[in-house]
Amino acid sequence: MKKQIITIQPLGKKIEVNYNTSLIDVLHEFGVEFPCGGAGTCGKCKVKILEGSVQKSSKHQQKLEFLGLSDEWRLACDSNVIADITIEIEQFSNLILADESEFEFTAQKGFGIAVDLGTTTIVAQLIELSTAKVLAVEKRINPQVKFGADLISRIQATLDGHLPEMTKIIRETIGAMIDLMIAAGKVEVRKVVIVGNTVMHHIFCGYDLTGLSAYPFISERLAAEKFKTKDLNWNFDPEEDIIFYPSIGSFVGSDILAGIVATGLHQKEKYTALIDLGTNGEIVVGNNKHIVCASTAAGPAFEGYNISMGMRAVTGAISSINLVDNMLITNVIGNVEPKGICGSALIDAIATLRALNKIDTLGEILSGENSIQIAGNVSIIQKDITEFQFAKAAIAAGLKILAKNLNIKLEDIEQVYIAGGFGSYINLEHVVQVGMIELPEEKIKKMGNTALIGAKMFLFNDFEICNHILVNCKHINLEEDTDFQDTYIDKLYF
Amino acid sequence: MTDLNLLYEAVVGGKLEIAVETTNSAIADGVNAHSIINDYLIKGMEEIGQRFENGKAFVPNLLMSARAMKGSLDILKPLLKDETSASLGKIVIGTVKGDLHDIGKNLVASMLEGCGFEVINLGVDVTSEKFVTAIKENNADIVCMSALLTTTMTYMKEVIEAIEAAGLKDKVKVMVGGAPVNDTFATKIGATAFSDNANAAVQTAKRLLAV
Repeated sequence: MKKQIITIQPLGKKIEVNYNTSLIDVLHEFGVEFPCGGAGTCGKCKVKILEGSVQKSSKHQQKLEFLGLSDEWRLACDSNVIADITIEIEQFSNLILADESEFEFTAQKGFGIAVDLGTTTIVAQLIELSTAKVLAVEKRINPQVKFGADLISRIQATLDGHLPEMTKIIRETIGAMIDLMIAAGKVEVRKVVIVGNTVMHHIFCGYDLTGLSAYPFISERLAAEKFKTKDLNWNFDPEEDIIFYPSIGSFVGSDILAGIVATGLHQKEKYTALIDLGTNGEIVVGNNKHIVCASTAAGPAFEGYNISMGMRAVTGAISSINLVDNMLITNVIGNVEPKGICGSALIDAIATLRALNKIDTLGEILSGENSIQIAGNVSIIQKDITEFQFAKAAIAAGLKILAKNLNIKLEDIEQVYIAGGFGSYINLEHVVQVGMIELPEEKIKKMGNTALIGAKMFLFNDFEICNHILVNCKHINLEEDTDFQDTYIDKLYF
Repeated sequence: MTDLNLLYEAVVGGKLEIAVETTNSAIADGVNAHSIINDYLIKGMEEIGQRFENGKAFVPNLLMSARAMKGSLDILKPLLKDETSASLGKIVIGTVKGDLHDIGKNLVASMLEGCGFEVINLGVDVTSEKFVTAIKENNADIVCMSALLTTTMTYMKEVIEAIEAAGLKDKVKVMVGGAPVNDTFATKIGATAFSDNANAAVQTAKRLLAV
């Protein structure tokens, strides 16, 4: 009998199921919780149907109406799969990292909104400009994930004619997030700042992406873009234009520009690095005179893509692994039987298995088996280790090549900031042990969502600070560097 | 006398320095370059390829081995007097226009070279004109194209059209590869064959030329 395929976003996992399989059975395996036990009263298991359809009974319809859910939503506890579908799981969007950090600012009147438009996730905050206090937060999975996980598949989708739809859904989503925050805060918004990588910028603005689809990856339109709310079909009326901040070059966008401002990298005499372990894996190294940056596309492995038992950090995911008396001690979210492993624990797994000498310096499993058990039924296979090696080698080699471009040694970097949702949960000792960042642990600091911090700082500053950075910042295509290949191969070693 | 088994082991184990050292001392001993290649380098690459095939070695191993082999071969090449006699066939290889991904393509090139083919590596961002010219100039038996992006792999079709337009279609076999490429795509654009890894590419090339 023909199987149905369920694609789960933003994880990118595809599962084959029999006709009429209940979604509750499938999603339970991925750590989705059903607080009301499937009675359909809490709405916590809601999923958004991105592609395909799930029929609803009249009872299901009543529950949706009771919970005030629009037509694209279904309750997983009351859904059976009778066709191929792509779904987004609402519970996963709770994992997106917002930010509560403090920064220096000059008080202003009114209220502003900062938006971090990521490839996988979107976070927006409503800020009181007199105190810099966060009044409301909205987080979403980027609805474009149905067009692919990485930037190249998004670009391909725009070339295939989906650009108008992609522009429309992203504007609608951010507009809806802002509406909710305005309603929650009961305030008038004076300004809105949006940051995101170059591809997100182009799609939001509705620009052609042909230039970014192939080498030399050049886009004519890197500059800041200003909009009136009526251009975007948004329902409120801010005093100032809405600004999408400018990109640095190639794929490196205003999210990294914001990250530079957040770390203060551009003001320091000593060299600082910023590594964003998001989907696009950007690296920046520089000081108050020279800044170089590159993107590595190393991120997906850290987010659980391409990892056989990879999952988001939800119930049932192994979230960390430590070595105690030569035993692997695992933490499982929700203290249940482990079902999979999340990105931060993958680094832990490799570091601890190396320490136990169960894998060699080139990543080979020494027992001769194809997999190593981590806990319960969860194991990692040889291919997972190789995927991880590729990702960590890209980061380590990227850092080295950027340092070389500045004519400095890696050791000359005084401080490394790690940004990105995933970056906040990693064990720095293990990051150093596996050779992803070849600097002492004391130099490395987790900084959370630097794009959002920077976007908030933009609300308080005029545009001048960006011009200084844009002038000093040079984008490097890592593959163009003659040393990249050799360095990359060297960094595959543990 | 130099123990050339060390060279074989350095290739299999991916040890660049030992490979280079052993090669230099073998040359100093007066060992013939052809026999170093045929009896040790090729044997080493065949062994690592076989281990890969059997799931006993992985892509990082292949990359290390290829690098060690290349280090040795670069020393030996200038010493080869009549180069073509030992070759299994001539292969032109490159990453297509718009794409800078070098590592996988270079691995395929090294594996082919390490297993006895003569390889002309055109690098990255290679236009259809450059492919056609290289095929003609070298009288190539096979052309290999690589692309790592869904947005650049479509260019392979343009190259195949250019090969047809140049009247080379019956003279040269076309092999394609790279992460987003698959068998269906290869057939659709009119390629002769597709390989999903470097070792399979060697086997495919051997099969196509019946060597």
